[in-house]
Amino acid sequence: MKTTANILNRLLKRDIWLRPEALLLLALIFEVILFSIYGRRFSTWDNWMNILRHSAEIGLLAVALTPIVWTGGIDLSVGSTLGVSAVVFGQLWRDAGMDPWQAGAISVGTGTICGAINGALIVWIRIPPLIVTLGTYSLFRGLAEALAKGVDTFTGFPQGFLMIGSGQWLGIPIQIWIFIGVTLVYVMADWRTILGRNWKAIGCSPEAAYLSGINVRRYLFGAYLMAGTVAGISAITYSSRLGSIKADAGSGYELLAITAVALGGVSLSGGKGSALGATLGVLALGILSNGLGRTPFTMNHSSELAGVLTGALLIGAIALSGLKGSSQS
Amino acid sequence: MSPQKLILWAGLAALALFPGCSGGSSESGTAEGGGEKPLIALLPKSKGNAYFLSCKSGAEKAARELGVELIYDGPVTTDPAKQNQIIENWITLEVDAIAVACENREGISTALRKAQDAGIPVITFDSDAEEDARSFFVNQATPEGIGHTLMDEAARLMGGAGKFAIITGSLTAANMNAWQEKIEERRSEKYAEIEMVALRPCDDLKDKAQQEATTLLSAYPDLDLIMAICSPAVPGAAEAVKQAGKGGKVKVIGLGLPSENRAYVHEGITQAVILWKTEDLGFLTIQAAYRLLKGELKSGAEALTVDGMGTFPVEGDNILLGKPFIFNDANIDNFDF
Repeated sequence: MKTTANILNRLLKRDIWLRPEALLLLALIFEVILFSIYGRRFSTWDNWMNILRHSAEIGLLAVALTPIVWTGGIDLSVGSTLGVSAVVFGQLWRDAGMDPWQAGAISVGTGTICGAINGALIVWIRIPPLIVTLGTYSLFRGLAEALAKGVDTFTGFPQGFLMIGSGQWLGIPIQIWIFIGVTLVYVMADWRTILGRNWKAIGCSPEAAYLSGINVRRYLFGAYLMAGTVAGISAITYSSRLGSIKADAGSGYELLAITAVALGGVSLSGGKGSALGATLGVLALGILSNGLGRTPFTMNHSSELAGVLTGALLIGAIALSGLKGSSQS
Repeated sequence: MSPQKLILWAGLAALALFPGCSGGSSESGTAEGGGEKPLIALLPKSKGNAYFLSCKSGAEKAARELGVELIYDGPVTTDPAKQNQIIENWITLEVDAIAVACENREGISTALRKAQDAGIPVITFDSDAEEDARSFFVNQATPEGIGHTLMDEAARLMGGAGKFAIITGSLTAANMNAWQEKIEERRSEKYAEIEMVALRPCDDLKDKAQQEATTLLSAYPDLDLIMAICSPAVPGAAEAVKQAGKGGKVKVIGLGLPSENRAYVHEGITQAVILWKTEDLGFLTIQAAYRLLKGELKSGAEALTVDGMGTFPVEGDNILLGKPFIFNDANIDNFDF
């Protein structure tokens, strides 16, 4: 017993365990072990793919939010951008008679335009990101509702299009491949180029970043623009997964994505964290809500418990990284 | 205490607590392996809604009687994709039957078809999915049932003669138009001395309904009754009548939740609220799901008999709950939704 405690103590003393990602990974493993023991049919291939399929949109949004949060900004409009892109897709396909791929491309373009609007207002009109995206959060959602006249439902998509949401390739759902692709772009931008470093530098101090020769405006604009594009892509996977679109598509997703980002150790005050951490955050949330829904003593309260535990996990994670900061100083 | 120690203790505490709280219910986990209690999952439109909680208590009663394990879970947020996620979760959980009140008809049908493909029988209640995505729909009220009950109750309160006005949600809502047609059909067949003087939309808003009712009261001084056929309009009309000081003289009836109208009913402003018994709806839904699962309810069935509740007619693939219930001063306190 003494030696076990010793080993644990030694492991815990290592600084790596206090990195938010590492803590999250531990929490995640803990979740998986518990649900494998107590949950019914939790660790089956089907269920794992189920968790991944339902995490795809939040995951895409969380990854796209990462560089924005690096710069010390925020984007509250990603869920609404998903909504308006989805409605545009529905109208182009059904009312304008376009084929789904063409309509899909324009819908991703719509998301990009939404992102560009955010970026332009933040960079050139110099309104704080929180205010801009709080505004476009309502604006884009309102636009989606106006386009869909409030109640219009688009449905009956062709089988080929539905495959994105329900089909698989090499045993893995198609939208997960899309998610992996997008995540790779962001991760590589961080690891293999100076993009990630510069984004984080802006978050630490925009003035210092500017003085060291970083084109701050271009970097900021780029991050919001890309978030719009990715929200447009998630509109496609969302529509295909549900097989129908209404104006309320993606409502509430912005907060889930921000939660995942914060959980994944991306500091909301800017400058820190990784897209992979955000992905782990998404996974932790997805596993939590899935597992609670299949564990006998939590089954009937899974939605409420998921809310409570997500909150506790988030506050706990931030508190621990705060403790780490204070113990070092 | 150092942060490292804190984590260590927090981790140990969590490990110690978790199996502790599972002790009591681990039997239900193992019983599922041996006893094979069927597992029926009930999905409301929204989980905390009083209407669905009352459906749930009926469902629980049926589950106890049938020896069924019941899962009740549903969205607590506004995410329209949440119902799909829950269904797909239930598919991999391999539940034995699913009963759903659909929020988004087309969207949920995608997930329900998947459940059917996986061999899980699907039933809808309260609001239907697309027809190929479920076996039966437990239909709580036909337009005929609603329209005729409303008109009969209005005629009874008016003493068989007089003038009344209808406040509806919108002039384009298909369900309300169907009800209104049935109201008119009943009136012209049975109550020749009753006249409908006006039909006003309130956009499903309580304050708009109140305005419309105020206008009606001044435009038709000899009005005997206001009938509100969308739920926000019932308390809206009652408030207008109350403020005009015409309580009891101009009667108010409508289609709505007892809880929203209880105060007006006790004050004598609103005479009757009409709705189905939601507990019976939940009860019948689980009964039907169980029979579907056991192969006792097949397509083409003409009736469904439930011990202690009677026989429910089946029309096509609709199981009919029957005539709506009239809530009034005498019985409204017995219901909490």
